[in-house]
Amino acid sequence: MDFVKRFSKNYGAVVGAIILGLIVLMAIAAPVLFPVDPWRTVAMPLLRPFEDAQYPLGTDMLGRDIAAGIAHGAKVSLLIGTVSTLVAVLIGVSVGAVAGFYGGIIDDLLMRFTEFFQIIPAFAMAVVLVAIFSPSITSITLAIAVVSWPGVARLVRAEFLSLREREFVQAAVVVGQSVPRIIMTQILPNAMSPIIVTASLMVATAILTESALSFLGLGDRNVMSWGFMIGAARTMLREAWWMSFFPGFAILLAVLAINLIGEGINDVMNPHLRGRKQ
Amino acid sequence: MMSFTLQRVMKAFVVILGVVILNFFLIKMAPGDPAVILAGEAGSGDPQFVERLRAEFGLDQPVLVQLWNYVSGVLRGDLGFSYRNQVPVLDLILDRLPATLLLTGAAFVFSLVTGILFGVLAARNRGNVLDSIITTLALIFYATPLFWIALMAVLLFSLNLGWVPPFDMETIGAGYTGWRRALDIAHHMILPVVTLGLFYTAIYTRLTRASMLEVMGLDFVKTARAKGVPKRRIIRRHVLRNAILPVFTFASMQAGQLVGGAILTETVFAWPGIGRLMFDALMQRDYPVLLGVFLVTAIVVVAINFIADLLYRFVDPRIAIA
Amino acid sequence: MTRWAALALAGAALLGGAAAAQSAPEGEPTPGGTLNMIVQPEPPMLITGLNTQGPTLYVGGQIYEGLLTYGADLAPLPQLAESWEAAEDGLTYTFHLQEGVNWHDGQPFTADDVVFAAEEFLVETHPRWRLIHEAYVEDVVAQDDTTVVFQMKKPFSAFLYGFDMSSFPIMPAHIYQGTDYRTNPANSTPVGTGPFKFDEWQRGSYIHLVRNEDYWKEGRPYIDDLYFRVIPDAASRAIAFEQGTVDLLRGGDVEGFTIRGLSEMPGVETTTAGWEYFSPQMFLQPNLRQEVFQNADIRKAIYHALDRDFIVNAIFFGQGTPSTGPFAASMLFHDPNVTQYPFDMDAAKELVANSGVDLSQHPIRLLGLPYGATWDRMTEYVKQQLEELGFVVSIQPVDAGGWLQAMGNFDFDLAFSFLYQYGHPAQGVSRIYYSDNQVRGTHAGNNGGYENPEVDALFRKAADALTEDEARAAYSQVQQILADEVPVLWMFDMLNTTIYRDKIHNLIRTGIGLNEPMDDVWIAQ
Repeated sequence: MDFVKRFSKNYGAVVGAIILGLIVLMAIAAPVLFPVDPWRTVAMPLLRPFEDAQYPLGTDMLGRDIAAGIAHGAKVSLLIGTVSTLVAVLIGVSVGAVAGFYGGIIDDLLMRFTEFFQIIPAFAMAVVLVAIFSPSITSITLAIAVVSWPGVARLVRAEFLSLREREFVQAAVVVGQSVPRIIMTQILPNAMSPIIVTASLMVATAILTESALSFLGLGDRNVMSWGFMIGAARTMLREAWWMSFFPGFAILLAVLAINLIGEGINDVMNPHLRGRKQ
Repeated sequence: MMSFTLQRVMKAFVVILGVVILNFFLIKMAPGDPAVILAGEAGSGDPQFVERLRAEFGLDQPVLVQLWNYVSGVLRGDLGFSYRNQVPVLDLILDRLPATLLLTGAAFVFSLVTGILFGVLAARNRGNVLDSIITTLALIFYATPLFWIALMAVLLFSLNLGWVPPFDMETIGAGYTGWRRALDIAHHMILPVVTLGLFYTAIYTRLTRASMLEVMGLDFVKTARAKGVPKRRIIRRHVLRNAILPVFTFASMQAGQLVGGAILTETVFAWPGIGRLMFDALMQRDYPVLLGVFLVTAIVVVAINFIADLLYRFVDPRIAIA
Repeated sequence: MTRWAALALAGAALLGGAAAAQSAPEGEPTPGGTLNMIVQPEPPMLITGLNTQGPTLYVGGQIYEGLLTYGADLAPLPQLAESWEAAEDGLTYTFHLQEGVNWHDGQPFTADDVVFAAEEFLVETHPRWRLIHEAYVEDVVAQDDTTVVFQMKKPFSAFLYGFDMSSFPIMPAHIYQGTDYRTNPANSTPVGTGPFKFDEWQRGSYIHLVRNEDYWKEGRPYIDDLYFRVIPDAASRAIAFEQGTVDLLRGGDVEGFTIRGLSEMPGVETTTAGWEYFSPQMFLQPNLRQEVFQNADIRKAIYHALDRDFIVNAIFFGQGTPSTGPFAASMLFHDPNVTQYPFDMDAAKELVANSGVDLSQHPIRLLGLPYGATWDRMTEYVKQQLEELGFVVSIQPVDAGGWLQAMGNFDFDLAFSFLYQYGHPAQGVSRIYYSDNQVRGTHAGNNGGYENPEVDALFRKAADALTEDEARAAYSQVQQILADEVPVLWMFDMLNTTIYRDKIHNLIRTGIGLNEPMDDVWIAQ
């Protein structure tokens, strides 16, 4: 309750939550709002926005409804964003927790392993993974997860290293609780807030990464996504600005909203920093 | 200091070796036989031709033998031979590396300088209009796809306004030398550097602002203020110095990521760097080149981190040399 | 649908008009100048004997030459061979070479170079020459410095159609003989006989060729410098032309819809000429190893379900003409009087209904061509039409390497493909129908798995024919059979528009177009 109260005091976060809520609603309602497959030709190609009231955002070069594409694409973008983040957090927390809890040689080995993944620039790695395993929604999601977990692992490790020494953890060790139990019930809950904040930013980054992959022609060809729409529109940028503008704007809104929410959560969960935003 | 350096170099060596092996297996997992693709591109398909190519590339040997051949080659400074380009990989990469280092280096400096500048401005004017404008812009640039900015920038600044060239690294065939050439390259660099750097400018702006505000809340600043030291001086003398350190740390960690962004920037702006070399090699399954680019990138990133570490210790001697 | 199809048609007509306006009589040639072009994508190398991809030929065509070249009507024309004669029995071909030709390094070009290319270099490296050499060529001898004689095992009616710079590039024997061709260090500094010499290659940026002062044609070439620029992004390439950074775009450099805009600029000419020898044709390749595609009615239904006028006009913006059958319309022996399959969704659905096949039980993968936005749109369109017909379709995601891989391994259900026809059906067309040409590892063989002994026999008969009439009869018959069986769905003859500024003269003179040495091209000063 207290969380909601404090969160709602942060206007930016509230705005973000409202925008994201609307996007999620749109994704859910897409099949009802736009029952026709967004890939189908429904009207004249290259209708300008508002030229035809039925297609307020215009149509693309094959006469497909841009508005329908945006609504249906929301689902894919959000899905890739959240699933890849969940996977990355899962890997990152596992690796980071083990490394941080045990320390020593295990920590050393795991951190070297993490570094292998961190050394290669994330986007370059994602491009290679997607190209090699051929672009599909699964390979894109996994590729993004693979390049983003090291950040989480390092963060979790650092948290665990410091929390491990705290009294309540030591107490649990003395009492003889099992390691998984200590990790799950004692340390993890206390490390949660930075993880959540990082994760929210990762969702945003994942959406951007998906769009960049699509731009390079590495999107899933069977699902409508915002990145695909921009990628398809880019060669016609000068002839039909609306084709890339609206999906680009959708990405901007979604990423912005998620960032605002992330900051809101951060402020709420790290009250000692709240002073910044008076 | 010596033993620290030695230790770091050893560690870096292990990490890079790990990267090489990891990437090698990653690429071996890829479906698609380079020999088949090369033969197909040549418009031929007879199996004899493919077999000949496979033997030529050493692809007919067991994977572990191939790995050993590759790693021992790398240790001798031989990064292999590009199937497609019929050129040693190292030559290809060294040809293209300077362009990327120039682009990413400039983008790094650009984003750091502008980021810190805007961050300080915003923090100093906390709560008023300037702060809001800067924070909002930073948020927007942070949330906008890089390639989209690139396309829009070309449209506006090159096509409509004609201020800067839309692509290429220099005027081809002009035969400029010396300063004239440097100026020409600088002119061509503006758009790619700014578009590549903007995302990081946004990050550093937000980071600097947050860090500044945090330091401003600390006791020694409050004391200084209570003593009546002018605000300008407090900021410069006390706040900035302390606030900038985390920004530097973060920036040095992020520097390598710029190379990833360079793939997009180099494609849009026809910049002849290794980002594009990597992408082309990937599309053509020219795996020795791909591995080579990864290796060189890894070395560059490790080197940057190492230098940053040294600088960091130099700036903040409190950190023990472990 | 019809309303915008009409609109697109109007656009195409406009383009056609512009194309017809080219090659007006021109004034006195002026020497000098620089020609800026684009090479896309960047070629891996410039040695046309080692790599036969489009970009390599485009640049290498200025450096290396063949024995012959071909007119827009596909008639053989002299290049390094000044004249030639074929014996009545089709078993001996004699080529008389130009006198006074030197390689770029000053060494004389002789009949020995031709023998080296025919018997050694190209046998090892060239995908098409290798097969011709194996099946037909008995022996090649240099009678003197300027006379080469090819002795045949048996007659081959298409033999004279395979001597252009892409099918039979002549490599310097004094550099390559006795070496490993692929790793020869000279590969980075190509040496040919052509009108332009290699100067510099800034990888990722440009390739610079300079005038060959010692070219064997007196007073040629006119132009001093050729720059082939590397610009990876299609939109940037259009900008480059618009801003005057380059003066010449060839087909594929920019997307279809951009061509219309660029061609309307003042001082800009367009032409679709210069591709007659290659006559690229786009087709859909069903994998006949799949049960559902073994049914000819299903193949015909798909053919009927695709509006090829829409594809050509709305998706390709006029860069093609719907094919009428297995041979491109600009090919030798093309016969238009074969069964046609016009767009008719009702007829398509009826064919499916009568076949009794439940298409939804046969989900198929669609393998598109990974060559950019326009092809992606076509893939999406075909998917949409197939779904309308009742198929469950997924697009097989591939990049360029992946497409070659899928085609080469027969790992596809319904694929987009295309064919360069190389002047003569026996050079370029029959290879995708021969039952015994189902070779893994290539995209340009019989990848669909079509087997019809009658078709095989007719193609062989035509290839071995001694007279043109004999060949024509066999080719007509085979076109009819193919059109009735639809082993592949011939979509359209690809048109490639060359866009250039009108200060460039004499640009396209033959059926190999821009691959032709630009010795006669001049820029108004």
